[in-house]
Amino acid sequence: MAELMDIIASFLASSLRQAAPLSLAALGVAYAEKAGILNIGEEGIMLSGAFFGFIAAYFSGSLFVGIISGALGGILISMIHAFMCIKVKANQTIVGLALNFFTLGLTSFLFLLVFGQNTKLPSVASLNPITLPVLSKIPVLGPVFFSQNILIYILYLAIIVFFVVFYKTEWGVRLTAVGENPRAADSAGLGVNATRYVSCIINGVFGGLGGAYITLAQLGYFQEDIVSGKGYIALVVVILGRHNPVFILLSAMLIGFAESLQFSLQTMGIPLPSQAFSMLPYLIAVIVLLLSAGKSSSPAFLGIPYERDKR
Amino acid sequence: MQKVILEMNHIDKSFFGKKANDDVYLRVMEGEIHALLGENGAGKTTLMNILYGLYQADSGEIIWKGEPLAIKSPKDAIDRKIGMVHQHFTLVNKLSASENITLGLKTKGYPFTDRASLDSKISEISTRYGLPVDPGKRILEMSVGEQQRVEIMKLLYRDVDLLILDEPTAVLTPSETDDFFAVLERLREDGKAIIIITHRIPEVMRIANEVTVLRDGKVVCSKSIGDLDEEKLSQYMIGRDLSTLKREERTGGNVLLNIDGVSLEEKGKKVLDNLCIKINEGEILGIAGVDGNGQKQLAEVILGIRKLGGGSIYLDGNRIDQLSIEERKNMGIGYISDDRHRDGLVMDMNLEENMLLRSERSGFLHHGFIDKSALKSATEHAISEFSIKTHSSGIPVRLLSGGNQQKLIIAREIHDSVRLVIAFQPTRGLDIGASEFVRSLLLSERDKGCAVLLISADLEEIFSISDEVAVIHSGRIMGIVRNNSDVDMTRIGLMMAGKEVM
Amino acid sequence: MKRKEASLAASLIVLFLTILLSLVFIGVAGDSLSSSISGFFKGAFGSAYSISEVFVKAIPLTLCGLSVAAGFYSGFTNIGAEGQFYMGAVAATVLGMYCPFLPGFLLIILGIVLSFLFGGIWAAIPGVLKAKFGISEVINTLMFNYIATGIVGILLQTVLKAPDAYFPVSSYMPEGMWLFKIIPGTRLHAGLILAVLSAIFMYVFVWRTWAGFKIRAVGSNRRAASCAGINVSLSLVLSSLLSGGFAGLAGFSEIAGLQHRLLEGMSPGYGYLAIVASLLGGNNPFGIILASIIIAVIQVGSQGMQRSSGVPTAISNIILGLVVLLILLRPVLVKALSKGDNNG
Repeated sequence: MAELMDIIASFLASSLRQAAPLSLAALGVAYAEKAGILNIGEEGIMLSGAFFGFIAAYFSGSLFVGIISGALGGILISMIHAFMCIKVKANQTIVGLALNFFTLGLTSFLFLLVFGQNTKLPSVASLNPITLPVLSKIPVLGPVFFSQNILIYILYLAIIVFFVVFYKTEWGVRLTAVGENPRAADSAGLGVNATRYVSCIINGVFGGLGGAYITLAQLGYFQEDIVSGKGYIALVVVILGRHNPVFILLSAMLIGFAESLQFSLQTMGIPLPSQAFSMLPYLIAVIVLLLSAGKSSSPAFLGIPYERDKR
Repeated sequence: MQKVILEMNHIDKSFFGKKANDDVYLRVMEGEIHALLGENGAGKTTLMNILYGLYQADSGEIIWKGEPLAIKSPKDAIDRKIGMVHQHFTLVNKLSASENITLGLKTKGYPFTDRASLDSKISEISTRYGLPVDPGKRILEMSVGEQQRVEIMKLLYRDVDLLILDEPTAVLTPSETDDFFAVLERLREDGKAIIIITHRIPEVMRIANEVTVLRDGKVVCSKSIGDLDEEKLSQYMIGRDLSTLKREERTGGNVLLNIDGVSLEEKGKKVLDNLCIKINEGEILGIAGVDGNGQKQLAEVILGIRKLGGGSIYLDGNRIDQLSIEERKNMGIGYISDDRHRDGLVMDMNLEENMLLRSERSGFLHHGFIDKSALKSATEHAISEFSIKTHSSGIPVRLLSGGNQQKLIIAREIHDSVRLVIAFQPTRGLDIGASEFVRSLLLSERDKGCAVLLISADLEEIFSISDEVAVIHSGRIMGIVRNNSDVDMTRIGLMMAGKEVM
Repeated sequence: MKRKEASLAASLIVLFLTILLSLVFIGVAGDSLSSSISGFFKGAFGSAYSISEVFVKAIPLTLCGLSVAAGFYSGFTNIGAEGQFYMGAVAATVLGMYCPFLPGFLLIILGIVLSFLFGGIWAAIPGVLKAKFGISEVINTLMFNYIATGIVGILLQTVLKAPDAYFPVSSYMPEGMWLFKIIPGTRLHAGLILAVLSAIFMYVFVWRTWAGFKIRAVGSNRRAASCAGINVSLSLVLSSLLSGGFAGLAGFSEIAGLQHRLLEGMSPGYGYLAIVASLLGGNNPFGIILASIIIAVIQVGSQGMQRSSGVPTAISNIILGLVVLLILLRPVLVKALSKGDNNG
C-alpha cells in the first residue's frame, strides 16, 4: 500500500514537473486569447525565454537573473507579435509561424556565436527545490507539491492571481469584453488595442518563464530547438483548460502524466516504441478538440484585428 | 417654459460625393420626445451618428446646453451625457447585464468591483423607470427586448440627459412596444430628452411631442405633433403620393410558388409562423412589412440557406424544401439578396468569375473546364445590355459602384430559364435611376411569365410594381390585398403594425 | 505617390531591409563580410553539384508549397504539410517493401497515387472536422504533424524496420522504383519533373476548372458561394485532400528520388518552410517554384557560408522569418507611401 502511494506520489511529482512549463506558458496564452490575440508564436516566445534565461544565468552565475532574463526574452518576441497583429493587422497564424522560424534561427545562431561548436554543452546548475515548512508535511501531496523549485511556486501564485483577475475583478470583465466584442468595449471607452498590448506583455512574461523553466529547472543546458513543440502544446492546454487557470494546470498535468509515463516505461525497458507515448499528448489534443466542437471557450473575436471604422 | 437642450444647425455630411445630410437642423427641448422621421436612407442615422461622435460633420454646429460642442468619439458624447442605442446592440454576450451596464466605468474599489452594490443601484434605476432587468443574467440568455432594456440601462446608469434611440421598436413585439413606450414616458416626466429615429408614422403620433422629418438628407418639416396628422406626415416623409409604374392589370397563370404553412424557430423565438403565400406565373407578389419581421428568413428558406422548421414549399407542384440550394436554383430560382457583399458577390473575383456563380452555366463549362472566351463574351454582353459601368470584365467587382454590382447580380440571376425571382430589397442603396431600371426589369420578367417575390421595406416600391401585396408581421402574413387603385393604405399600415384588420 | 508605384517601392524596401538585416547578422558572425558572401554564392552556385543541390531541396519545397497553397484557396490553413509529407513517404515505403515484385513503372505510378492519397487523407481528416464541425484546422493540422512523425517512428521500430539495421530505418526500395537522375553524378532526380508537372496541374485545376473555381469561391466568400448553390463542405474537403496530396507527393519524391528508404527526420521542416514558400510565391503555382528555389538557395548558400567563414547555418531560419514578417508589413508600407494620393 505504502509502495503504491510512493509510486503515485512520484508520478504526480514528475507530471507536475513536466506540466510546469506548459502551465506557465498556457496561462500567458490564455490571457492573450481572452483579449482576442491568437498566438501561434508561443513556441518562439518559449524558445526565446529558454535561451535568454540560460545565457543570462550562465554568465551572471545567478539563476534569479536567468529567470528575469527569460521573462524579458519572452517579452521581446511577444512584442514583435503584438505589433504585427495589432498595428499591422497581419494574419496572426502566419505572424506566429514566422516568429517561430525567426526565433529558432536566432537562438541557435546566437548560441553558436557565443559558445562556438563544442562537443561538451555548456551548462548551469539547475534550480533547487525549496521545501516549504508545514505544507510539505502533508502526507503524499505535501512533498509532491511543496518541495519544488521557485518557478513552480511562481506558477501556483500565478494561477491564483489569474483566477482572481479573470473571475473576480473588473479587469477580467474588460478583458472578456475586448475579446468577445471589441466594438462594444470601444464604445464603452475601453482601449481595445491597449488592452491587447498589455495582454501580449503578460503572454511574453509567462511564455518566457515557461521556456526558462526548461533550461533552468529541467535541463540546465540549452541546445537548438530545445522547446520542441511545447509552445504548440501550450495552445492545446489552453483549449483543454477552457481558459480557466485551474483547469489549465490540470490539463497540463494530464499531458505531463503522459510524458512521465513514457519516461518510466522506457526506463523499465518495456519494449514499446517511445513514440507511442510521445505522440499521446498530441492525440489527446486532437480528441479534446473534437469533443469540444461547438462549445469552444475561445472568444468570438480571437485572432481578428479591431478596426474602429469598419462595420 | 422648457429649455432648449440641443441645437444642431446647418449640418452637412457627404459620403463619396453623395449628400447624406444637407443643411440639416434639429432642436430638442428638455423633457421632450422628439421623433426623427424618414424613409430608409433619408439621413436620420447619419445625423445622429454625427451627434454621437461616430462621424464628423463636414460643416455645421452643435449647441449642447447653450454651448458649442465638439464631439470626437462616443466617449466624448457619453461624458457630455449624450447616449445612443444603436439598431445593432453593442453588448458583450458572455457578460452579465450588470457587467455590461457598468463596463468601462471605474467604480468604487476598482478593480475589485463591489458587484452587489452595483446590482442594487441597477435595480433601483430599473424600478424607478419600470425597466425590468435581471443584473446577473447573461446577455446570451436574453430576448431581444431584454437586451434593449440593458442598452437603455447602460445610458441611464451613466445618467445621460439625452437618449438617442435608433429604430427601437423594430425588434419589439407589440406588447413589448407598449411597455417600452411607458418607459419613454417616465423618462420624459423625469426631464430627459429623447430622440427616437423611426419610419413608423403611427408610433410618432403615439409617443412624440415634436417631429422632424428628413427626406433625401434635407429637413422637410419640423413641427409639434399637435399640428400634424398621419396623412400629412406621410406626405412629408414620402414627398408625393405613391406613384405606380405603368403596369397592365392582368391575372396570372398557374400557381408557381406555393408556401404552405412554413414555420421556423430561431433561438427559441418563432421567426416564421405558419406562413402561407402563393404566387402565380406572371405575377409579382410584394411582401410589405417593417424590417426584421421574418423577411430575411422567408427569402432564405425558399432558397434553402435555412432549413424549415415546419410546413412545405412547392415550386410548380414539386416539393422543394428538402432539396439542396443548387437543385432549387437549377429548377429556375433567381435570387437577389439584400446583402450583395455577403450573399451575392465574391468581391475579390472579377466580373466574369462572378457571372460564373450562376445556376445556368452549361454554356461555360466543357467537361469541367471553364470556357473562358464564352464566359468573357457572355459577361461583356451583360455589361452592355445592363449598361454596367466598368473598365473591363476582368477587374474585381469590389471596384464597381453599388448600383453596378447590383446590376451584375441581376444580369446573372435573371436568365432565360428562370421561373421564380426572389428579389429581396433589390434597390437598397441604389440611386433613383438604377432603382427604376431594376423595377422595370422585374416588371418585364413578370410580363414574360415569371413569378416574382418582391420583399421590400419600401412601400412605394412595393405598390409601384406588385400585383398583390402581402403584409408580414412577426413572421406571419397579416393580410393579402390586390394592388389596384383603391388600396386602403391605413389598413396596410395597421397590418404592418401587427393589427388584425381582416 | 501613386498606389502602383507605392506598391513597387514597398516591395523594394522589403527586399532591401531583408538583405540589410541579413548582412548585419552575417557581419556579426562571419570572419569577414566578403568571405561570407562569396562563401554564400559559391555554396549555392559554385559548381554543377551545388546548383543541383539547390534544386534537390527545391523539389520537396515546391510540392509542399503547392500543398499549402491548395489549402489556402479554400481558406484551409494547412500547417500540416510536414505530417502529410511523412504519410506520403510511408505509403511509398510500404509499397516498395511489400510489393518489390512489381515492375518499376508500376511501382512509380502506384507510389504516386498512394502517396497522394495517404497525404491527402491525412489532411482531409482536419478538413472534414473543419467543414462539418467548425473545428479550427490550424491546431489540428499541427497536431497531426506530431502524430505522423510518431507513427513513422513506431513503424520504423516495428513493421518497416530493415532486418539488418541497427538504427530505425526501413530497407531500401527496389531499384525499379528509384527515379532516374536528371544530371548524372549529382543527386538531382526526376522528382523535379514531378514538381513542375504538379505545379502545372495545380494551375490548370484551380484557374481553369469548375471544381477549382468552386474552391476559390469558397475561400473568398463562403456565404456567397453557398448562396450560389456550391456545396461548401465538399469544396473544403476536396481542397484539403488536394492540399495533403501534394505534400504526400513530396514524401514519395524524397523516397523514390533521393533517400530510397524511409528515415526518421527525413524532412528538415519542409512542411513548415512551405508556408514561407507559398506566401513568398503569392500562392501562385509558378511563383511557388521560384520561391522554393530562392529558399533553397538561402539554405544551401548558408551552408557554404558556414564552411567559408563560420556563419552558423541557423542564419537561414532567421532570414526566412524576417522575410515573412517584412512581407506582412508590406501593406502598411504601401499605405504609408501612397498617403496624400487616394485616387488609387
